[in-house]
Amino acid sequence: MIRLDGIARCFTVGEQTVHALAHIDLAIEAGAYVSVMGPSGSGKSTLLNILGLLDRPSAGSYTLNGVATTALAEGARARLRREAIGFVFQFYHLVPRLDAFENVALPLSLAGVAPAERRERVTAALSALGLGERAHHRPDQLSGGQRQRVAIARAIVTEPDLVLADEPTGNLDRASGREVAAILEHLNRERGIALIVVTHDPELGERAARRLTLVDGRIAADCGGDPASADRGRG
Amino acid sequence: MRTPDVLGFALAALRGHLLRSGLVLLAMAIGVAAVVLLTALGEGARRYVTGEFAALGTDLLTVMPGRTETTGGAPPITGETARDLTLADARALTRSHAVRRVAPINLGEAPVRARGRSRAAVIVGTTAAYFAMRRLAVAQGRTLPEGDPRAARPLVVLGATIRDELFGASNPLGQWVRIGERRFRVVGVVERRGQQLGIDLDEVAIMPVAAAQQLFDTPALFRILVQARGRAAIPAAERDILAIIRARHEGEADITVITQDSVLAAFDRIFTALNLAVAGIAGISLLVAGILVMNVMLVAVTQRRAEIGLLKALGAPRRRIVGLILAEAALLALAGAVAGVAAGIGAGAAVRAIWPVLPVTPPWWAVAAAVTLAVASALGFAVLPARRAARLDPVAALAKQ
Repeated sequence: MIRLDGIARCFTVGEQTVHALAHIDLAIEAGAYVSVMGPSGSGKSTLLNILGLLDRPSAGSYTLNGVATTALAEGARARLRREAIGFVFQFYHLVPRLDAFENVALPLSLAGVAPAERRERVTAALSALGLGERAHHRPDQLSGGQRQRVAIARAIVTEPDLVLADEPTGNLDRASGREVAAILEHLNRERGIALIVVTHDPELGERAARRLTLVDGRIAADCGGDPASADRGRG
Repeated sequence: MRTPDVLGFALAALRGHLLRSGLVLLAMAIGVAAVVLLTALGEGARRYVTGEFAALGTDLLTVMPGRTETTGGAPPITGETARDLTLADARALTRSHAVRRVAPINLGEAPVRARGRSRAAVIVGTTAAYFAMRRLAVAQGRTLPEGDPRAARPLVVLGATIRDELFGASNPLGQWVRIGERRFRVVGVVERRGQQLGIDLDEVAIMPVAAAQQLFDTPALFRILVQARGRAAIPAAERDILAIIRARHEGEADITVITQDSVLAAFDRIFTALNLAVAGIAGISLLVAGILVMNVMLVAVTQRRAEIGLLKALGAPRRRIVGLILAEAALLALAGAVAGVAAGIGAGAAVRAIWPVLPVTPPWWAVAAAVTLAVASALGFAVLPARRAARLDPVAALAKQ
């Protein structure tokens, strides 16, 4: 599903050029569960942003679902984001003035889905995450765990192939963090949505079937990849 | 994204900052209200003045001695002394089929005396036709009698103020007044009309034209008032008048003919131009309001960086972001414009209530232009913030919390 060939990303800071990513080659199959770990500044988030089409690599090619994304215009990249990718952020990024229902409906309304269908899909997504009762609460009326569940509902309501989670438990207490991790894993297992989690937290990182470790913009370790995908292939 | 969703999102964003949105809305509303009210006042003035003229009769022509039109070329060396207009000229004009009535007019000033009191009055020498043409009615007695205008009968119709000051509450009809060295019998009193285009009709004494000619010792007429057979007959009447006078004045049409219609049209043009100028000046405030919209949208874009980054992550392309910001600006302007139109019309109604003679009604074009300009100015000035939002780097926008 995902194929990165020689991906590099440099930033210019003052007169210095910083290589956030240096020559990444990576393939991820549909439905995979991958964690990306590594110290601060190792390029985890940069990798996630490139995978999410929020950032463009300085070099290399990125193929998503058979589409060479690096050559695409902004509009086509936006469309691909809308249709194939869901994001879960550390700080939730819910729109504060909108209630849970409206936040989850946002990607559908951006995609031009008709109100009736939207209502159905949002209601289904919210109840799948146990938020049926909270549909008309605004973010400031929800706990951290609930907010992150709303954000997850928003990420999956478009039925993407891939969910990218950037420190999804980083702002939560341990209990809520475990709950959120379990929900993401459940979605990965039951719906076959590929899940890529970037985290500092070893406990969360170790749960993934395939574990990447980045150091200085390079993949330093890649554990457990193929057997896990082979398992899923049989199941 | 569907249009109702775009508007709903923009509306929710505006409601999130009620005070800020409200202040910009107020600025827009004041600008629009200014345009609506000022043009309503201008339009009221225009209608008032043209109405006054129309009340005098739009089928009237005024014939004045002497030619006032300016033509090119050197001035004639011999000099051109205009011939006087005479009563015979006036009578000759009735030969035209386009002419319904003719009233010769002689104007002067003289004291009117009665019962030992004296009062200066404007003396109008004319015929019975004058009353019909000017739509003058009498409050008491009757108008001047029909008959040969060359007969200098000693009769007079007084203005209401003259009657009051000379006779008080007693009946003036049949009484004699002295004007100059002659005595005139009062046959009627003009109904109270007040000032009408410079002449106070309450302060006149109207007598047969031949009597006025004797009083002022001149055969010349001040002017001749001609009523055409309807507005359509005005050009024919004007042509006939010039032809008749030319024939009588040895080939010289040494007169000036003014149609009430052309005076009306001139006033109409002047007032319309003034009104446009006023609307333009008031319209400047709408540009200022547009700049306020830009300022507010710039602040909004800065405050909502994370939200804009999120929209991008959720797959909103640049033009969608631009569209959302422009929708917000347009809604703000439209709400302000609606409030402004309501306020302007309300203020106009208040002016009308206080001062009923002025028909204060905003012209539809001003309302349409004010609303259009308000929205256009808001949209125009919101382009910069919208593009700034669209260019936001989603990674940077989402990274900060």
